[in-house]
Amino acid sequence: MNDPQPIPRKVPDYMRKKGGLWYWTGAMIMIAFFYEAITGLILFLYYQPSNAYVSTEGVLNIAYGSVILTTHLYGAYIMIALVYIHLLRNLFVGAYKKPREMQWLTGIVLLVLTVAVAYFGYSLTGDVLSSDATDVARGIAGGFPVIGTYLREIFMGNGQSISLFTRFEGWHIILAGLIGITFALHFFMAEYNTIMPDPKKTNYRAPLIDKEDSSYKPWYPYNLLYMTQIALFTIALILLIPSILALLPHVPALFSPFPQVSATSPLASQVPPYPPWFLLFVYKELDFGISSTVGPFWATVIFTGLPLIYLLLLPYIDRSSTLKTTKRPIVVATGIIGIIYLIGLSTWGATMPGIPVNNVVGLLFFVIPLVLVIALVYMISGRLESGKVKIQNAWKVYALIPFAGFIAILAGISIYAAVKQGTIYYTIATIFLLVILGISITALYASIYGVKKASEQKSLSGRGYVLFGGLYGFLALAIVSVISVIPPTTIFNQSLYGVGLGLLFLLGAAFIALYRSHAYNE
Amino acid sequence: MPKDEKPIDEQRRNFLKVVGVMIIGAGIVGTLRSVVQYAIPPVSNAESSFPTLLLLLPNGNPVHTTDLVVNNPSIVTFDYPLQNEPNFLLRLGDASNNDVKIDSTTVDIPATGGKYQSPAGVGPYGSVVSSSAICQHLGCIPPELRFHPPSSTNFPGKVHCDCHGSTYDPYKGFSVVTGPTKSPLPGLVLSYDSTKDTYSATMLVGPTIYGHTTDLSGGNPVSSSGATITTLGV
Ligand code: FES
Repeated sequence: MNDPQPIPRKVPDYMRKKGGLWYWTGAMIMIAFFYEAITGLILFLYYQPSNAYVSTEGVLNIAYGSVILTTHLYGAYIMIALVYIHLLRNLFVGAYKKPREMQWLTGIVLLVLTVAVAYFGYSLTGDVLSSDATDVARGIAGGFPVIGTYLREIFMGNGQSISLFTRFEGWHIILAGLIGITFALHFFMAEYNTIMPDPKKTNYRAPLIDKEDSSYKPWYPYNLLYMTQIALFTIALILLIPSILALLPHVPALFSPFPQVSATSPLASQVPPYPPWFLLFVYKELDFGISSTVGPFWATVIFTGLPLIYLLLLPYIDRSSTLKTTKRPIVVATGIIGIIYLIGLSTWGATMPGIPVNNVVGLLFFVIPLVLVIALVYMISGRLESGKVKIQNAWKVYALIPFAGFIAILAGISIYAAVKQGTIYYTIATIFLLVILGISITALYASIYGVKKASEQKSLSGRGYVLFGGLYGFLALAIVSVISVIPPTTIFNQSLYGVGLGLLFLLGAAFIALYRSHAYNE
Repeated sequence: MPKDEKPIDEQRRNFLKVVGVMIIGAGIVGTLRSVVQYAIPPVSNAESSFPTLLLLLPNGNPVHTTDLVVNNPSIVTFDYPLQNEPNFLLRLGDASNNDVKIDSTTVDIPATGGKYQSPAGVGPYGSVVSSSAICQHLGCIPPELRFHPPSSTNFPGKVHCDCHGSTYDPYKGFSVVTGPTKSPLPGLVLSYDSTKDTYSATMLVGPTIYGHTTDLSGGNPVSSSGATITTLGV
């Protein structure tokens, strides 16, 4: 079934159409990973474990150091977010089924490695947030039965600060290397197992394997250009988000692209003790009544280890060959509940860090969504099965429901706060949340009932291409000249440079899209 | 080739190709420029002149004479004038641990044949001295380079480097006793405030700190609030 094919494989045209980005979340992760590897290595030119905080802050004042440091941080954030999206997408479409079980397993390993490498990288700065995270991790590692002390020393050294940061540096590189190796495995498995074609082809039955036919265009130049477009787009995101954030005043500590104050500074007590946002859920789980009873290690095993084990075993638990989401209500429901727990715990951790939760409240937090979601999913999938309701993109719907629900709750809270407190911030937050809510409900509606595809992409006239191409070229030249005269002397200027560079990459991506449309009619 | 492909206007296509190369080129230029400029270490005009820094205990209080042990076998150092540039802080005594007054002497630099006047000891007994704690031979630092207190009249205290065996005499301005080093340890000039009983680092004299083109370049300055001492147990 898998005739040897030249790698990389050809892909069908629809994967390069508008909206095709959903099929390339893995590729975007790869680009983010490469970006991280390169910027990470050049950051080591200045990092000194003996002087962690000062040398990290020092990088901000080296020419363009601020751009490299802040985008390295946000590249990691974007990579983690994409890893979660990639995982959920594959969970809902049933990509873990035959023949991709091993591919799924390596994916879960990559999830763990990515979060771990991000943890170590985050801690390298030695700022107050890093030392809070270190304390939590010390507690967790130290609680491992029998070998706890060894584990703590293996990962965090013998207690001296220089040994701590040297270890962090070492593990950061080791784990990044492991990601590279595991990723190679994951990628070649993907090439071997082929992409997942439209499940209708096999009437929603696994194994779903793509058979190349003559309509597939050659990899070069069609896919190469498309991949370049994705790469430029991803890098543009990585450059733009932190550089824009860096220009804004009062970005909350959790999303600030800069290191916080030093852990030994008197100002440290004013920064709420947060871990990085992607670990907020671990942090909150330690506040539950039961966690203080069993200790941080076992709490982590229960709250983080069990879901991971579930994910690892998933291909072997759900062995049915059906790929229909409606025929897998339990898997779908667990996925949705997982998202709710993850987002809920994280927000809870962000708004009430370190405040203990008694067992009853904790139980309610876990039980209410559990019961509600399972009941709802069963109900909906029953109705879908019987054909009473029709949904076009089931997995998108499943991903959007918890998101919209969660945003609705937040919006409710902030409306309440806006009315009670009446400060401008709550009003802004409310408007913002309502807009997101509106967008997600529209998206939900669109994915349930389907939108009329705008009949054929309107292609530009020949002149239009010349006009837009010329415009892009002109803009690129303008931007590159503007940013090259901005001296990188202040962090503000450096951030402007970052924005400019991000726009250049964005222009590059837009241009390739234009070119593909012109030359290949794609 | 799909059938619906329109005939392609070669000229327009070439125009777009040129523009594409230009945009990618602009991106590459922008990226490379920042990366290259980033990789060049900043010329540290870290300091334009030697700062005067109060010596502080790790808890932030100033160092007083009672905090310093005569012939301390532990290694007491502080960074000055730049980070990661350790200097010894020694309170010298004789074999029975009584303070010894250290006078300024003329120190030879065998490497260049030059001479300079070493700083005299400070403090109530004139016994507190300081020097760079980076070996002038190949740059070993404590604990390899360390002060061995006098144990008897036969063994007067010496600063010895375990890396290749250089020895310096802290009682004689850290002058060279045995090689392979060809240069004494740069002397650090301390000043003593007798009313407050506090010590400050003011400048360095003699050869340049090992591995630096000048004492004030090639690193980041230590914090301006003071120079904090650290103690390495034996
Ligand atoms: S480095 Fe000290 S003797 Fe060689």
